[in-house]
Amino acid sequence: MTMETYLNAAIKDVITEFPEVGTILVEYDVGCVTCQVGTCLLKDVVGIHGLAPEAEQALMARIAKAVAPGAVAGGTDAGTARPAGAEIKAVAPARALDTDKKEFKYSPPLKQLVDEHVLIKRLVALIPQLLEVVDVNAAEDRELLMNGVDFIRSYADRFHHAKEENILFGYFDCSLEIVQAMLADHQTARAHVRQLVEAVETRNGDAIADHLGAYGELLSAHIKKEDEILYPWMDRELTTAEVGELFSRFATVDEAAGPGFTDHYAALVAGIERSVEFRDPRQREVTPQKEEARR
Amino acid sequence: MSEFQVESCGCPGSAMMDLRDPDAPTDETPTTKTPSQLRQWPIQLHLVSPQAPYFQGADVLLAADCTAFALGAFHNDYLKGKSLAIACPKLDQGRDVYMEKIKALAEDAKINTLTVLIMQVPCCRGLLALTSEALSQSSRKVPVKAIVVGLQGDILSEEWL
Repeated sequence: MTMETYLNAAIKDVITEFPEVGTILVEYDVGCVTCQVGTCLLKDVVGIHGLAPEAEQALMARIAKAVAPGAVAGGTDAGTARPAGAEIKAVAPARALDTDKKEFKYSPPLKQLVDEHVLIKRLVALIPQLLEVVDVNAAEDRELLMNGVDFIRSYADRFHHAKEENILFGYFDCSLEIVQAMLADHQTARAHVRQLVEAVETRNGDAIADHLGAYGELLSAHIKKEDEILYPWMDRELTTAEVGELFSRFATVDEAAGPGFTDHYAALVAGIERSVEFRDPRQREVTPQKEEARR
Repeated sequence: MSEFQVESCGCPGSAMMDLRDPDAPTDETPTTKTPSQLRQWPIQLHLVSPQAPYFQGADVLLAADCTAFALGAFHNDYLKGKSLAIACPKLDQGRDVYMEKIKALAEDAKINTLTVLIMQVPCCRGLLALTSEALSQSSRKVPVKAIVVGLQGDILSEEWL
Protein backbone atom coordinates (compact mmCIF):
# COMPACT_ATOMS: atom_id res chain seq x y z
CA MET A 1 0.00 0.00 0.00
CA THR A 2 1.36 3.44 -0.92
CA MET A 3 0.89 6.73 0.90
CA GLU A 4 -1.43 7.74 -1.96
CA THR A 5 -3.69 4.80 -1.11
CA TYR A 6 -3.97 5.88 2.51
CA LEU A 7 -4.61 9.51 1.55
CA ASN A 8 -7.66 8.27 -0.35
CA ALA A 9 -8.84 6.00 2.47
CA ALA A 10 -11.49 6.78 5.12
CA ILE A 11 -10.00 8.38 8.23
CA LYS A 12 -11.58 5.80 10.53
CA ASP A 13 -10.06 2.90 8.56
CA VAL A 14 -6.61 4.50 8.59
CA ILE A 15 -6.73 5.13 12.35
CA THR A 16 -8.01 1.60 13.01
CA GLU A 17 -5.04 0.20 11.10
CA PHE A 18 -2.54 2.76 12.39
CA PRO A 19 -3.64 4.21 15.77
CA GLU A 20 -0.54 6.42 15.77
CA VAL A 21 -2.11 8.47 12.97
CA GLY A 22 -4.92 9.43 15.36
CA THR A 23 -2.39 10.58 17.95
CA ILE A 24 -0.54 12.66 15.35
CA LEU A 25 -3.75 14.30 14.09
CA VAL A 26 -4.80 15.20 17.65
CA GLU A 27 -1.42 16.90 18.16
CA TYR A 28 -2.26 19.14 15.21
CA ASP A 29 -5.73 19.86 16.62
CA VAL A 30 -7.45 17.87 13.88
CA GLY A 31 -10.56 16.89 15.80
CA CYS A 32 -11.89 14.38 13.26
CA VAL A 33 -10.23 11.55 15.18
CA THR A 34 -13.26 11.08 17.40
CA CYS A 35 -15.80 11.36 14.58
CA GLN A 36 -18.28 8.50 14.83
CA VAL A 37 -18.85 8.43 11.06
CA GLY A 38 -15.21 8.66 10.01
CA THR A 39 -15.78 8.25 6.29
CA CYS A 40 -13.96 11.45 5.27
CA LEU A 41 -10.82 10.70 3.30
CA LEU A 42 -7.51 11.26 5.10
CA LYS A 43 -6.42 13.83 2.48
CA ASP A 44 -9.67 15.81 2.93
CA VAL A 45 -9.40 15.67 6.72
CA VAL A 46 -5.97 17.27 6.53
CA GLY A 47 -6.84 19.69 3.73
CA ILE A 48 -10.01 21.02 5.30
CA HIS A 49 -8.26 22.22 8.46
CA GLY A 50 -6.37 24.95 6.60
CA LEU A 51 -3.05 24.38 8.38
CA ALA A 52 -0.07 26.50 7.39
CA PRO A 53 1.71 24.85 4.43
CA GLU A 54 4.79 24.03 6.53
CA ALA A 55 2.70 22.51 9.31
CA GLU A 56 0.69 20.50 6.80
CA GLN A 57 3.86 19.16 5.21
CA ALA A 58 5.30 18.20 8.57
CA LEU A 59 2.02 16.52 9.52
CA MET A 60 1.92 14.58 6.27
CA ALA A 61 5.54 13.52 6.77
CA ARG A 62 4.74 12.09 10.19
CA ILE A 63 1.66 10.30 8.85
CA ALA A 64 3.71 8.91 5.98
CA LYS A 65 6.29 7.64 8.43
CA ALA A 66 3.54 5.97 10.45
CA VAL A 67 1.66 4.29 7.62
CA ALA A 68 4.27 3.68 4.98
CA PRO A 69 7.86 4.10 6.15
CA GLY A 70 10.04 5.18 3.25
CA ALA A 71 7.06 6.44 1.24
CA VAL A 72 6.84 9.87 -0.35
CA ALA A 73 5.27 12.49 1.91
CA GLY A 74 3.25 15.10 0.09
CA GLY A 75 0.73 17.80 0.80
CA THR A 76 -2.97 17.25 0.37
CA ASP A 77 -2.60 18.27 -3.25
CA ALA A 78 -1.18 15.33 -5.17
CA GLY A 79 0.93 17.76 -7.16
CA THR A 80 2.90 18.84 -4.11
CA ALA A 81 4.50 15.46 -3.41
CA ARG A 82 8.14 15.92 -2.61
CA PRO A 83 10.96 13.59 -3.66
CA ALA A 84 11.56 10.64 -1.38
CA GLY A 85 14.19 11.37 1.23
CA ALA A 86 13.86 15.14 0.90
CA GLU A 87 14.44 16.96 4.15
CA ILE A 88 11.26 17.94 5.89
CA LYS A 89 11.51 20.94 8.13
CA ALA A 90 10.07 20.28 11.56
CA VAL A 91 7.20 22.57 12.40
CA ALA A 92 5.48 22.66 15.75
CA PRO A 93 1.93 21.38 15.73
CA ALA A 94 -0.94 23.86 15.90
CA ARG A 95 -1.45 23.33 19.61
CA ALA A 96 2.13 24.26 20.36
CA LEU A 97 1.87 27.35 18.17
CA ASP A 98 -1.45 28.49 19.58
CA THR A 99 -1.55 27.68 23.22
CA ASP A 100 -4.61 29.83 23.73
CA LYS A 101 -8.01 28.92 22.41
CA LYS A 102 -8.23 29.55 18.69
CA GLU A 103 -10.33 32.51 17.67
CA PHE A 104 -12.29 32.15 14.48
CA LYS A 105 -13.66 35.00 12.42
CA TYR A 106 -16.87 33.99 10.70
CA SER A 107 -18.96 35.64 8.01
CA PRO A 108 -22.20 37.14 9.42
CA PRO A 109 -24.49 34.19 8.52
CA LEU A 110 -22.10 31.57 9.90
CA LYS A 111 -21.57 33.74 12.98
CA GLN A 112 -25.34 33.51 13.51
CA LEU A 113 -25.11 29.71 13.52
CA VAL A 114 -22.20 29.84 15.96
CA ASP A 115 -24.23 32.14 18.22
CA GLU A 116 -27.13 29.67 18.08
CA HIS A 117 -24.68 26.96 19.17
CA VAL A 118 -24.03 28.95 22.34
CA LEU A 119 -27.62 28.45 23.53
CA ILE A 120 -27.59 24.78 22.49
CA LYS A 121 -24.34 24.25 24.39
CA ARG A 122 -25.93 25.74 27.51
CA LEU A 123 -28.56 23.00 27.43
CA VAL A 124 -26.05 20.28 26.57
CA ALA A 125 -23.88 21.37 29.52
CA LEU A 126 -26.83 20.78 31.87
CA ILE A 127 -27.35 17.16 30.85
CA PRO A 128 -24.97 15.38 33.30
CA GLN A 129 -26.35 17.36 36.24
CA LEU A 130 -29.91 16.94 35.00
CA LEU A 131 -29.49 13.17 34.87
CA GLU A 132 -28.24 13.17 38.45
CA VAL A 133 -31.17 15.06 39.93
CA VAL A 134 -34.15 14.02 37.86
CA ASP A 135 -36.69 11.57 39.33
CA VAL A 136 -38.55 9.92 36.48
CA ASN A 137 -41.48 9.07 38.74
CA ALA A 138 -42.09 12.72 39.57
CA ALA A 139 -44.43 14.48 37.13
CA GLU A 140 -42.58 17.74 37.65
CA ASP A 141 -39.28 16.14 36.63
CA ARG A 142 -40.78 14.50 33.56
CA GLU A 143 -42.06 17.94 32.57
CA LEU A 144 -38.55 19.30 33.03
CA LEU A 145 -37.21 16.63 30.68
CA MET A 146 -39.92 17.35 28.13
CA ASN A 147 -39.04 21.06 28.28
CA GLY A 148 -35.55 20.01 27.28
CA VAL A 149 -37.00 17.91 24.46
CA ASP A 150 -39.06 20.90 23.32
CA PHE A 151 -35.88 22.99 23.14
CA ILE A 152 -33.98 20.27 21.29
CA ARG A 153 -36.73 19.66 18.75
CA SER A 154 -37.93 23.21 18.21
CA TYR A 155 -34.78 25.29 18.55
CA ALA A 156 -31.80 22.98 17.99
CA ASP A 157 -33.41 20.89 15.26
CA ARG A 158 -36.33 22.56 13.44
CA PHE A 159 -34.78 26.02 13.69
CA HIS A 160 -30.98 25.59 13.74
CA HIS A 161 -30.34 22.27 11.99
CA ALA A 162 -32.99 23.14 9.41
CA LYS A 163 -31.01 26.29 8.49
CA GLU A 164 -28.04 24.04 7.80
CA GLU A 165 -29.89 21.28 5.98
CA ASN A 166 -32.34 23.37 3.96
CA ILE A 167 -30.11 26.37 3.21
CA LEU A 168 -26.41 26.24 4.08
CA PHE A 169 -25.52 22.75 2.87
CA GLY A 170 -27.23 23.54 -0.45
CA TYR A 171 -24.25 25.75 -1.32
CA PHE A 172 -21.93 22.76 -1.19
CA ASP A 173 -21.68 19.36 -2.74
CA CYS A 174 -23.87 17.36 -0.37
CA SER A 175 -22.06 14.17 -1.31
CA LEU A 176 -18.93 15.53 0.43
CA GLU A 177 -18.01 13.27 3.30
CA ILE A 178 -17.88 16.10 5.83
CA VAL A 179 -21.41 17.21 4.95
CA GLN A 180 -22.60 13.62 5.05
CA ALA A 181 -21.00 13.26 8.50
CA MET A 182 -22.91 16.29 9.78
CA LEU A 183 -26.19 15.00 8.33
CA ALA A 184 -25.56 11.60 9.92
CA ASP A 185 -25.04 13.35 13.29
CA HIS A 186 -28.40 15.12 12.89
CA GLN A 187 -30.13 11.80 12.16
CA THR A 188 -28.47 10.08 15.11
CA ALA A 189 -29.45 12.99 17.37
CA ARG A 190 -33.09 12.72 16.23
CA ALA A 191 -33.11 8.99 16.93
CA HIS A 192 -31.79 9.59 20.47
CA VAL A 193 -34.50 12.19 21.09
CA ARG A 194 -37.24 9.85 19.84
CA GLN A 195 -36.01 7.15 22.19
CA LEU A 196 -35.65 9.67 25.01
CA VAL A 197 -39.31 10.65 24.66
CA GLU A 198 -40.36 6.99 24.73
CA ALA A 199 -38.22 6.47 27.83
CA VAL A 200 -39.83 9.45 29.58
CA GLU A 201 -43.29 8.15 28.70
CA THR A 202 -42.47 4.67 30.03
CA ARG A 203 -40.56 6.11 33.01
CA ASN A 204 -37.46 4.14 32.07
CA GLY A 205 -34.65 5.92 33.93
CA ASP A 206 -31.83 3.87 32.41
CA ALA A 207 -32.97 4.56 28.85
CA ILE A 208 -33.34 8.25 29.66
CA ALA A 209 -29.75 8.31 30.92
CA ASP A 210 -28.51 6.38 27.87
CA HIS A 211 -30.20 8.50 25.21
CA LEU A 212 -29.96 11.94 26.80
CA GLY A 213 -26.33 11.25 27.71
CA ALA A 214 -25.53 10.05 24.20
CA TYR A 215 -27.31 13.09 22.72
CA GLY A 216 -25.20 15.41 24.88
CA GLU A 217 -21.93 13.76 23.87
CA LEU A 218 -22.90 13.71 20.21
CA LEU A 219 -23.93 17.38 20.13
CA SER A 220 -20.81 18.54 22.00
CA ALA A 221 -18.54 16.89 19.43
CA HIS A 222 -20.81 17.94 16.54
CA ILE A 223 -20.80 21.61 17.51
CA LYS A 224 -17.03 21.60 18.02
CA LYS A 225 -16.55 20.14 14.52
CA GLU A 226 -18.84 22.75 13.01
CA ASP A 227 -17.38 25.73 14.87
CA GLU A 228 -13.74 24.80 14.36
CA ILE A 229 -13.65 22.90 11.08
CA LEU A 230 -16.77 22.97 8.96
CA TYR A 231 -17.78 26.63 9.21
CA PRO A 232 -14.25 28.07 8.77
CA TRP A 233 -13.83 25.84 5.71
CA MET A 234 -17.23 26.88 4.35
CA ASP A 235 -16.34 30.54 4.86
CA ARG A 236 -13.22 30.02 2.76
CA GLU A 237 -15.32 28.48 -0.01
CA LEU A 238 -18.33 30.83 -0.08
CA THR A 239 -18.30 33.81 -2.44
CA THR A 240 -19.22 37.27 -1.21
CA ALA A 241 -22.54 37.07 -3.06
CA GLU A 242 -23.32 33.70 -1.47
CA VAL A 243 -22.62 35.09 2.01
CA GLY A 244 -25.15 37.86 1.30
CA GLU A 245 -27.73 35.35 0.06
CA LEU A 246 -27.26 33.14 3.12
CA PHE A 247 -27.66 36.15 5.40
CA SER A 248 -30.96 37.09 3.73
CA ARG A 249 -32.28 33.53 3.74
CA PHE A 250 -31.44 33.07 7.42
CA ALA A 251 -33.17 36.39 8.16
CA THR A 252 -36.30 35.04 6.45
CA VAL A 253 -36.21 31.95 8.70
CA ASP A 254 -35.76 34.16 11.77
CA GLU A 255 -38.71 36.33 10.72
CA ALA A 256 -40.88 33.26 10.16
CA ALA A 257 -39.97 31.93 13.61
CA GLY A 258 -41.19 35.20 15.12
CA PRO A 259 -39.55 38.01 17.06
CA GLY A 260 -39.79 36.29 20.45
CA PHE A 261 -38.69 32.84 19.31
CA THR A 262 -35.07 32.91 20.47
CA ASP A 263 -35.93 34.81 23.66
CA HIS A 264 -38.56 32.18 24.48
CA TYR A 265 -36.06 29.33 24.18
CA ALA A 266 -33.34 31.26 25.99
CA ALA A 267 -35.80 31.71 28.86
CA LEU A 268 -36.66 28.01 28.72
CA VAL A 269 -32.98 27.03 29.04
CA ALA A 270 -32.55 29.53 31.88
CA GLY A 271 -35.55 27.91 33.59
CA ILE A 272 -34.02 24.44 33.28
CA GLU A 273 -30.73 25.81 34.64
CA ARG A 274 -32.54 27.18 37.68
CA SER A 275 -34.47 23.94 38.23
CA VAL A 276 -31.33 21.82 38.00
CA GLU A 277 -29.47 24.08 40.38
CA PHE A 278 -32.38 23.99 42.84
CA ARG A 279 -32.66 20.19 42.73
CA ASP A 280 -28.97 19.45 42.87
CA PRO A 281 -28.32 17.94 46.34
CA ARG A 282 -24.93 19.65 46.35
CA GLN A 283 -26.73 22.99 46.10
CA ARG A 284 -29.16 22.00 48.90
CA GLU A 285 -26.50 20.61 51.18
CA VAL A 286 -26.46 22.46 54.48
CA THR A 287 -22.95 23.45 55.44
CA PRO A 288 -21.79 25.50 58.43
CA GLN A 289 -20.85 28.23 55.97
CA LYS A 290 -24.35 28.29 54.47
CA GLU A 291 -25.89 28.25 57.93
CA GLU A 292 -23.70 31.18 58.88
CA ALA A 293 -24.72 33.02 55.73
CA ARG A 294 -28.38 32.31 56.43
CA ARG A 295 -28.09 33.84 59.91
CA MET B 1 11.83 44.91 -2.90
CA SER B 2 11.04 48.58 -3.29
CA GLU B 3 12.97 51.27 -1.57
CA PHE B 4 11.05 53.67 0.54
CA GLN B 5 11.95 57.29 1.02
CA VAL B 6 9.71 58.51 3.75
CA GLU B 7 9.58 62.18 4.52
CA SER B 8 8.70 63.13 8.00
CA CYS B 9 5.19 64.53 7.96
CA GLY B 10 2.45 65.07 10.49
CA CYS B 11 -0.08 63.00 8.59
CA PRO B 12 0.84 59.41 7.73
CA GLY B 13 -1.79 59.46 4.99
CA SER B 14 0.06 62.26 3.22
CA ALA B 15 3.63 61.13 3.94
CA MET B 16 5.69 60.99 0.79
CA MET B 17 6.93 57.59 -0.29
CA ASP B 18 8.88 56.64 -3.38
CA LEU B 19 7.71 53.20 -4.34
CA ARG B 20 9.77 52.88 -7.52
CA ASP B 21 11.65 49.62 -7.59
CA PRO B 22 15.11 49.91 -9.15
CA ASP B 23 15.27 46.12 -9.38
CA ALA B 24 12.03 45.81 -11.30
CA PRO B 25 12.45 44.20 -14.74
CA THR B 26 12.76 46.86 -17.42
CA ASP B 27 11.62 44.81 -20.39
CA GLU B 28 8.09 45.61 -21.39
CA THR B 29 6.19 42.36 -21.66
CA PRO B 30 3.36 42.57 -24.17
CA THR B 31 0.08 42.90 -22.35
CA THR B 32 -3.40 42.09 -23.47
CA LYS B 33 -6.06 44.70 -22.86
CA THR B 34 -7.88 44.14 -19.58
CA PRO B 35 -11.58 44.77 -20.05
CA SER B 36 -13.24 47.11 -17.58
CA GLN B 37 -15.59 45.53 -15.08
CA LEU B 38 -17.39 48.82 -14.47
CA ARG B 39 -21.09 48.40 -15.20
CA GLN B 40 -22.56 51.76 -14.22
CA TRP B 41 -22.08 55.52 -14.20
CA PRO B 42 -21.76 57.67 -12.12
CA ILE B 43 -19.62 56.16 -9.39
CA GLN B 44 -18.84 58.96 -6.92
CA LEU B 45 -20.86 58.46 -3.74
CA HIS B 46 -22.29 62.01 -3.91
CA LEU B 47 -23.52 61.36 -7.43
CA VAL B 48 -24.88 57.82 -7.26
CA SER B 49 -28.52 57.19 -6.57
CA PRO B 50 -29.46 54.27 -4.32
CA GLN B 51 -32.60 53.99 -6.46
CA ALA B 52 -30.55 53.11 -9.56
CA PRO B 53 -31.44 49.67 -10.89
CA TYR B 54 -27.88 48.40 -10.69
CA PHE B 55 -27.90 48.82 -6.91
CA GLN B 56 -31.06 46.82 -6.29
CA GLY B 57 -30.12 43.62 -4.46
CA ALA B 58 -26.53 44.09 -5.60
CA ASP B 59 -23.19 43.24 -4.11
CA VAL B 60 -21.77 46.74 -3.67
CA LEU B 61 -18.15 47.82 -3.52
CA LEU B 62 -17.52 51.04 -1.61
CA ALA B 63 -13.95 51.87 -2.53
CA ALA B 64 -11.74 54.60 -1.17
CA ASP B 65 -10.54 56.66 -4.13
CA CYS B 66 -6.91 55.58 -3.91
CA THR B 67 -7.55 51.83 -3.86
CA ALA B 68 -8.18 51.54 -7.58
CA PHE B 69 -4.71 52.95 -8.25
CA ALA B 70 -2.93 50.90 -5.60
CA LEU B 71 -4.43 47.57 -6.60
CA GLY B 72 -3.04 46.10 -9.79
CA ALA B 73 -6.03 43.85 -10.30
CA PHE B 74 -8.78 46.15 -9.06
CA HIS B 75 -11.19 45.42 -11.90
CA ASN B 76 -10.94 41.65 -12.05
CA ASP B 77 -10.42 40.85 -8.39
CA TYR B 78 -12.61 43.41 -6.62
CA LEU B 79 -14.97 45.22 -9.00
CA LYS B 80 -16.12 42.26 -11.08
CA GLY B 81 -19.77 41.45 -10.42
CA LYS B 82 -20.28 44.41 -8.11
CA SER B 83 -21.87 47.84 -8.28
CA LEU B 84 -19.56 50.63 -7.26
CA ALA B 85 -19.40 53.80 -5.19
CA ILE B 86 -16.18 55.66 -4.48
CA ALA B 87 -15.36 58.22 -1.82
CA CYS B 88 -12.50 59.79 0.08
CA PRO B 89 -13.14 60.00 3.81
CA LYS B 90 -10.41 62.59 4.22
CA LEU B 91 -11.07 65.12 1.48
CA ASP B 92 -14.75 64.78 0.61
CA GLN B 93 -17.35 67.10 2.09
CA GLY B 94 -20.83 66.10 3.17
CA ARG B 95 -20.36 63.23 5.58
CA ASP B 96 -24.08 63.35 6.45
CA VAL B 97 -25.00 62.85 2.80
CA TYR B 98 -22.72 59.82 2.63
CA MET B 99 -24.38 58.38 5.74
CA GLU B 100 -27.82 58.75 4.19
CA LYS B 101 -26.67 57.22 0.91
CA ILE B 102 -25.23 54.14 2.62
CA LYS B 103 -28.34 53.79 4.78
CA ALA B 104 -30.51 54.04 1.68
CA LEU B 105 -28.43 51.39 -0.08
CA ALA B 106 -29.20 49.01 2.79
CA GLU B 107 -32.86 49.92 3.34
CA ASP B 108 -34.14 50.93 -0.09
CA ALA B 109 -31.86 49.20 -2.57
CA LYS B 110 -31.73 46.17 -0.26
CA ILE B 111 -28.20 45.44 -1.32
CA ASN B 112 -26.92 41.89 -0.81
CA THR B 113 -23.49 42.73 0.62
CA LEU B 114 -21.24 45.75 1.08
CA THR B 115 -17.49 45.43 0.60
CA VAL B 116 -15.55 48.41 1.93
CA LEU B 117 -12.15 48.69 0.30
CA ILE B 118 -9.77 51.09 2.02
CA MET B 119 -6.08 51.98 2.09
CA GLN B 120 -3.92 51.22 5.10
CA VAL B 121 -3.46 54.91 5.96
CA PRO B 122 -5.26 55.87 9.19
CA CYS B 123 -7.56 58.46 7.62
CA CYS B 124 -9.05 55.77 5.38
CA ARG B 125 -10.49 54.03 8.45
CA GLY B 126 -12.96 56.89 8.45
CA LEU B 127 -14.80 55.31 5.52
CA LEU B 128 -15.22 52.11 7.49
CA ALA B 129 -16.36 53.98 10.58
CA LEU B 130 -18.83 56.01 8.53
CA THR B 131 -20.21 52.83 6.96
CA SER B 132 -20.58 51.09 10.33
CA GLU B 133 -22.35 54.11 11.78
CA ALA B 134 -24.72 54.40 8.82
CA LEU B 135 -25.60 50.71 8.93
CA SER B 136 -26.09 50.75 12.69
CA GLN B 137 -28.86 53.28 12.03
CA SER B 138 -30.36 51.17 9.26
CA SER B 139 -33.44 49.05 9.89
CA ARG B 140 -32.01 46.40 7.59
CA LYS B 141 -28.76 44.59 8.33
CA VAL B 142 -26.25 43.89 5.56
CA PRO B 143 -23.10 41.76 5.70
CA VAL B 144 -20.05 44.04 5.48
CA LYS B 145 -16.60 42.94 4.45
CA ALA B 146 -13.59 45.18 5.10
CA ILE B 147 -10.51 44.91 2.92
CA VAL B 148 -7.39 46.93 3.71
CA VAL B 149 -4.94 47.59 0.90
CA GLY B 150 -1.26 48.29 1.49
CA LEU B 151 0.52 51.16 -0.24
CA GLN B 152 2.07 48.77 -2.74
CA GLY B 153 -1.18 47.06 -3.59
CA ASP B 154 -0.88 44.13 -1.22
CA ILE B 155 -3.90 43.00 0.78
CA LEU B 156 -3.20 43.53 4.47
CA SER B 157 -6.47 42.17 5.78
CA GLU B 158 -9.79 40.92 4.52
CA GLU B 159 -12.52 40.07 6.98
CA TRP B 160 -16.25 40.13 7.56
CA LEU B 161 -17.35 42.54 10.25
